[in-house]
Amino acid sequence: MKRLRSLDFFMGTGFALIGLYVMFDGYIAYVSPALATVEKSVNPGVTTLFVGGFLALLGVVLALIGMRGAGNPFLKAAEVIPETLRKKSFLKGVLAMACIGVYFFVFWGRIPYILSTFIFLAGMMFLFKGGAWWKIGIVSGTTVAIIWYVFGVLAMIPLP
Amino acid sequence: MGFEQIFSEVLKTLNLEFILLIGMGTLIGLIVGALPGLTTTMGIALLTGITFKFSGHSAIALLMGLYVGGVSGGSLSAILIGIPGTPANASSTLDGFPLALRGQGAQAIFIARAASVIGTVFGILCLAFFTPLLTNLALKFTSAEFCLLGLFGVLISGTLTGADLPMKGWIAGIFGLTIGMIGMDELTAWHRLTFGSPELIGGVPFIPIMIGFFGIPQVVESLMSEQDVLVAVLDKTRIKIMEILRQWWVALRAGLIGVGIGIIPGVGEDVASWVSYGVAKKASKHPEEYGKGSIEGLVAAETADNSCIGGAIIPLLSLGIPGSPPAAVLLGAFLIHGVRPGPMLSFEFPAFTYQAVSWLLVATLFMFVLSVLIARPMQKILQIKNAILMPIVAVLCAIGSFSLDLRFIDIVLVFFAGLIGIVFKKGKYPPAPLVLGIILGPLVDTNFRRALKASGGDFSIFFTRPVSLALIIATVLLILGQLGVFGAIRDKWRRRKQTEAQTTIS
Repeated sequence: MKRLRSLDFFMGTGFALIGLYVMFDGYIAYVSPALATVEKSVNPGVTTLFVGGFLALLGVVLALIGMRGAGNPFLKAAEVIPETLRKKSFLKGVLAMACIGVYFFVFWGRIPYILSTFIFLAGMMFLFKGGAWWKIGIVSGTTVAIIWYVFGVLAMIPLP
Repeated sequence: MGFEQIFSEVLKTLNLEFILLIGMGTLIGLIVGALPGLTTTMGIALLTGITFKFSGHSAIALLMGLYVGGVSGGSLSAILIGIPGTPANASSTLDGFPLALRGQGAQAIFIARAASVIGTVFGILCLAFFTPLLTNLALKFTSAEFCLLGLFGVLISGTLTGADLPMKGWIAGIFGLTIGMIGMDELTAWHRLTFGSPELIGGVPFIPIMIGFFGIPQVVESLMSEQDVLVAVLDKTRIKIMEILRQWWVALRAGLIGVGIGIIPGVGEDVASWVSYGVAKKASKHPEEYGKGSIEGLVAAETADNSCIGGAIIPLLSLGIPGSPPAAVLLGAFLIHGVRPGPMLSFEFPAFTYQAVSWLLVATLFMFVLSVLIARPMQKILQIKNAILMPIVAVLCAIGSFSLDLRFIDIVLVFFAGLIGIVFKKGKYPPAPLVLGIILGPLVDTNFRRALKASGGDFSIFFTRPVSLALIIATVLLILGQLGVFGAIRDKWRRRKQTEAQTTIS
């Protein structure tokens, strides 16, 4: 529970900061000369100020709950972070996101879709021990073929 | 529109093309629902992208079939491998899997399926009956009511789904409202929270956000865990139909609970099935059997989560406020295909509610037949490793979001929504209020300012109309209740009574 409350402190602080930024954006709209002719009650900044304020308030309350529950959240974080970084499951999660990131931001649009998707599927299945290489090859190839046919041919979506 | 015209409109959408599409949607839903790691919400979001080019009503019919199949499909994996395919079937695992392990898997699947059919039909009948009534009521609502209804919906969704702290549900909901406000303001064309990006001027597209928020964390989480799957063998024993007929009272109660919870914005099928399971256990003559293979427990869980489908669509069609996360994504699909749910639906598409009822009934029939047919093949499919399945899901997330508007920014949004989803899961923030907040953000914002414009900036408009006042009181009571105010008042009153009693005695 202390771990969760430590995370609550940091997330609450984050939400409070987001709420403050949202309020700031709302304030800019509220006082903008470009909207001087708009009735104040209809000004787009009104709801933004309310919602941002509510978010900031809830964020602060959550941060306080987190601080009360975790004791010293910074000390708890200093204890938890190195432990988490050493966990195999965490590293697998990072690897998964990294693979997805490479597919989305490096392959997409730069390498033809069929090739990039095959490399991504085969690579990820291999990294996460999906089975023998030839099984991975067959599954990846079949999947790419089906996706290409369904999306590229039937749905007529211009694949990159 | 008269009854004959409505009937003729309904029949137009029950041709062979529609029926096959509904069947296909139900089959996809059953498979998506059965595979742990894929949820009904994700399935609807992904298929919305794929069906973008279909004609409006045919795409919606297919997605409704997927909704029905998805909610029921999860019970297959719950029974066969003890892992619920969707959160809605988590309570079915408690009794379904033990039944399968002692050689009654086929019986358990039949009971679950029959309960699903009963629940879905019950929910659909309630949908047909209550939607027109609620629509007539909603036609009397003004901007003030809609604004407060949206806000109340987000808060109550947060309260009921915030497992750790209700406040986290509220934060998720308000964060969702914030995301919903990104883009060009409808009333003044001012750009809010766009960070100078021209691609955000049109707002944050809902479907890629949903795909990223639900899909990517599931992919990552499934790949992080290594779990051996124990698959129960499907027996060939005779199905006993009387077993389900004996549970008629349990099914009826579960149906009512499911519809009731479905109507509450953003709560959904998983809460419905757990509440129904809990109520059934408390009311049971044999509560000790629950968790060990109780047919009553299985019926209560499956009936409720399926009747919730109809319940969730009631506020969706009548108020434009979805009753569950899958219904929320369905709302996005409706809007993409030019169907605007809410009170005006009865004017723009007068027969739509009844068309939806007919599609859901057809989907229910397909669900029953197809789930019996695919039970044995699914045994093999459920043994597919996550290392094989999850990369495919990641690819579908990318192509599903890209196919809507053919923009790279949508893929970027999927990635970042996925990161937010992972953080939310880690911090135990419920996803349903966020979904509802994104959907209802524009509704709350625009109606709030329209109400103020109509009243000339006077806030009393929110207090002088009876429904608005009731919603404000309900919202305040909800917040005070969760902050422990009533508990503190009750404790203080009890202490005072004790002190007075002690003073009297002495």
